[in-house]
Amino acid sequence: MAHISGMFLSVVGGAALVLGTAYGWTAREYRSAELDVLTERLVQLESSNAEWSKRAEATAELEAKLTALETELATAVQALEEARRAPVAAVAEPEAQPETIVADAGDPSFGDPARGETVFGQCRSCHQIGQGAEDRIGPHLNGIFGRRAGAHDGFRYSDDMAMMGADGLTWEIETLDAYLENPKALVSRTRMNFAGLKDQQDREDILAYLRQFSASPQNIPEAAPTAQAREVELAPEVLALVGDTDYGEYLASECKTCHQQDGSDQGIPSITQWPTEDFVVAMHAYKRQIRPHPVMQMMASRLSDEEIAALAAYFAQLQ
Amino acid sequence: MKLNRRVFVGTGIAAASALSAPMVQAASHGKPKVVVVGGGAGGATAARYIAKDSAGEIDVTLIEPTRSYYTCFFSNLYLGGFWELENLSHSYGKLASDYGINVVHDWATGVDRDAKTVSLAGGGTVPYDRLILSPGIDFVEGSVPGWDLSAQNAMPHAYKAGSQTELLKAQIMAMPEGGTYVMVAPPNPYRCPPGPYERISMVAHQLKMNNPTAKIIIADPKEKFSKQALFEEGWQKHYSGMVERIGPDFGGGNVTVDPAAMTVNIDGEVVKADVVNVIPAQKAGLICDAAGLTDGNWAPVDGASMVSRLDENIHILGDATNQGDMPKSGYSANSQAKVAAMAVRGALTGSRVFPAKYSNTCWSLIATDDGVKVGAAYEPNEEKIASVSSFVSQTGEDAAMRKATYEESIGWYEGITADMFG
Repeated sequence: MAHISGMFLSVVGGAALVLGTAYGWTAREYRSAELDVLTERLVQLESSNAEWSKRAEATAELEAKLTALETELATAVQALEEARRAPVAAVAEPEAQPETIVADAGDPSFGDPARGETVFGQCRSCHQIGQGAEDRIGPHLNGIFGRRAGAHDGFRYSDDMAMMGADGLTWEIETLDAYLENPKALVSRTRMNFAGLKDQQDREDILAYLRQFSASPQNIPEAAPTAQAREVELAPEVLALVGDTDYGEYLASECKTCHQQDGSDQGIPSITQWPTEDFVVAMHAYKRQIRPHPVMQMMASRLSDEEIAALAAYFAQLQ
Repeated sequence: MKLNRRVFVGTGIAAASALSAPMVQAASHGKPKVVVVGGGAGGATAARYIAKDSAGEIDVTLIEPTRSYYTCFFSNLYLGGFWELENLSHSYGKLASDYGINVVHDWATGVDRDAKTVSLAGGGTVPYDRLILSPGIDFVEGSVPGWDLSAQNAMPHAYKAGSQTELLKAQIMAMPEGGTYVMVAPPNPYRCPPGPYERISMVAHQLKMNNPTAKIIIADPKEKFSKQALFEEGWQKHYSGMVERIGPDFGGGNVTVDPAAMTVNIDGEVVKADVVNVIPAQKAGLICDAAGLTDGNWAPVDGASMVSRLDENIHILGDATNQGDMPKSGYSANSQAKVAAMAVRGALTGSRVFPAKYSNTCWSLIATDDGVKVGAAYEPNEEKIASVSSFVSQTGEDAAMRKATYEESIGWYEGITADMFG
């Protein structure tokens, strides 16, 4: 920006110079000379503009390389840590637990934190947890229970994650469970590139493990049923429903009061041309009140499976 | 007649499809004609959806006196200094050029329901097969003793957007230091339930910046009002000591005004004011009464299709109607317009008719980046349009959520105006 405004200043300076030296010129000659100077500057600006775009491309490339290197590094660090821990564990007492640990594991039927630690292995390449944990590719997970989504200072989240946080998504047992099961069900365009843990026991164990590093045991229910009741797992026949696009078009008229038909998204996200399954899963997550937005929960709450399918079919084919 | 209509719309898709073919009406010559009176959130949306979805099968005429439409929703943001007047202004150009709607800038003065024609102030009549009235509100004469339309320059209502909004803003900006702004709030039911209180918030914001010792008094005939806890929390937080509301317990419903003296008499106490914003009691836009479609102050409609309970060929939308639980809002009118458009197309061209669903959300701005909302979903039953679920912002929400709510409201404004005007 500094560079560009500098150029503008010199354009103004050049025009002033012409005005000073050519005092006796006719107005037309002056205009023509001024035009020449401006044209020349314009050419210069355009070429400098092209230069900047090139640099921006190069920067993006470098950023991508950096991300790849970070992933590699994290994997290497994880391998090292595992190698370091293995022999120690055999001979020594378990390492001192972090301060935030909850001594009472609560209802033991909920999940096995020891097994959860093993399951968490697949998360470690991106997420750190425990004493000294820092943000890597993903944010560190100390104190995750009770934390507002997308709100950990200093970490750059996807727009969707930030929006869900602003809408009121907080990491509790139910929301973490839904997110781990299928990240996109909760946050459509999350940067977390992870297919999800389909096995309920895996999720319960990993949550029991994560919970040890959070200071909010009150977030943990006595037993699992609440969490189970609010899962977004959809029966295959619900996902397989083929929507009636005519009906979808009528139902969609209600959506278009806020979501624009041409896909523009000023303050309200675009919902056109989504993959049908993503759309259906997201709507069911609102309907079951796992996604937080009150308007969307209200709209989704009265839609049947067929109506959600109709909407998905209609919006998917919208040009 | 009414029973047939209920059966028709109420029995769902299958019955509707079966019945639709014989219900197709051949207009006197050529295409069936729909006339829409009023180009606001109800009328513009209805005209656009009928024209768009019938793809040329229906001839649509929109009668609206103003060439530039100023939305009443968000006009408070102009008073608060958040928006420019131009942000509120919209033209009917695209409805004519992109959708083929015949846009007539004239006043509709009456309806001949037997001949099925609408008469215009400029002379002439327009024939219809189906008529849609979406005229908004007019004011109940004598509801605030001392005030009538001839006093609207001294004491503006600014409850129809445009020149009145500009006038009120100019008066607020010209208030002397430490001056007094009085709002005479309306009784229920009225357009935009949170509107007067959002306006108080925006006036307070403007005065806090430019005239921080000024005072705001609300004389209110209502015990409680929309989003009351949220507004009162916000006024305390942002404009502490500036806003005083006098409810009915303290005579807020017993008000007379003297526009010449610029005084407001609230239950015997005379207040000298610099700005008096009188929002009178309201009724359906005059055309409804002229057409004989009102019962009391409002036009009763059947929530299954927004058809008048007094004329099966006329649908009525938005603020003018008595339909049940929906608030009088631009969002509601827009929602109702889509149901009516579908019903009208079904009746005239045999297109599919689905069960009506309605919804509404009202966003309000309390201060910079402090937005709140209230909303509900509705479905019709035999008696009325009934609320089926609802939500409201909570007191004590954090700044991030309030900011997101405000940004969402801007998104909604862009969305609904695109939905109205194309």
